[in-house]
Amino acid sequence: MLISKKVEFSASHICRSTQLTDVENERVYGAAANPLGHGHNYVVEVAIEGDPDPVTGMILDLKRLREILEDRVLNVYDHRLLNREVEPFDRLVPTVENIAIDIWNRVAPCVDGRARLYSVKVHETSDLSVEYRGGA
Amino acid sequence: MTVRLSKRYGFAASHRLHSAAMTDEQNRETYGKCNNPHGHGHNYEVELTVCGTVDPVTGRVVDPGLLDALAEKQILAPFRYRNLNEEFAVFRTVVPTTENLGLELDRRLREAWPETFASGGPRLEKVRIWETDRNICEITGIE
Repeated sequence: MLISKKVEFSASHICRSTQLTDVENERVYGAAANPLGHGHNYVVEVAIEGDPDPVTGMILDLKRLREILEDRVLNVYDHRLLNREVEPFDRLVPTVENIAIDIWNRVAPCVDGRARLYSVKVHETSDLSVEYRGGA
Repeated sequence: MTVRLSKRYGFAASHRLHSAAMTDEQNRETYGKCNNPHGHGHNYEVELTVCGTVDPVTGRVVDPGLLDALAEKQILAPFRYRNLNEEFAVFRTVVPTTENLGLELDRRLREAWPETFASGGPRLEKVRIWETDRNICEITGIE
């Protein structure tokens, strides 16, 4: 059984790779390569997998999940310039793909007990989202 | 790292649900208002989910420009402001329900996929189509 929770944060980023030339960066990332940056209201949806506790009827206490997301995601990402203020984006391009993977890496170790993290879905805009389910 | 990226697009089209294999009475019973002989339309939305590995240099699973161009060429340009029953050969014999429209969109995308993306590149995992906010069809498991 899966249970999902959504949170939102606002952040800016610059999509440019140091391994690409200026021309290549413009071609690959388009307007998102603007060196001055731009921002989004990101929506993060995490799905937790497990069986409900026979006593509480819960897979994971949603208050606990909210605390994990606040502590591990919102406190880190909200109102930040990702390239400068959030590791690992000093060395990785903060595409929505890499953001989903990084959020997984931050949240997965905190989900314990009978539950496990199943997926992280990050919506960058209303028509673009990425889902990561862990693993290679 | 395998990730799934979804992009959403839209087009408006008209259709009528009517099967030649059923009587008029059966058609009315089966399709209700959708059987109106004059047809009606929807603002369809289509979400394409692409699955693949993240390029270590670009941080991307798919070039969104290529995906947009493929969607435009294969589905948005052909279907935008069209009458599905009258203007598509497939819907002369197949009823253009959301299910059958989804299968046709999926087929058209897969037809042009190999010329757009290199082998070993991103693959099309899922096509979701919204006929209205409350009426959604999902096509998966077709390779």
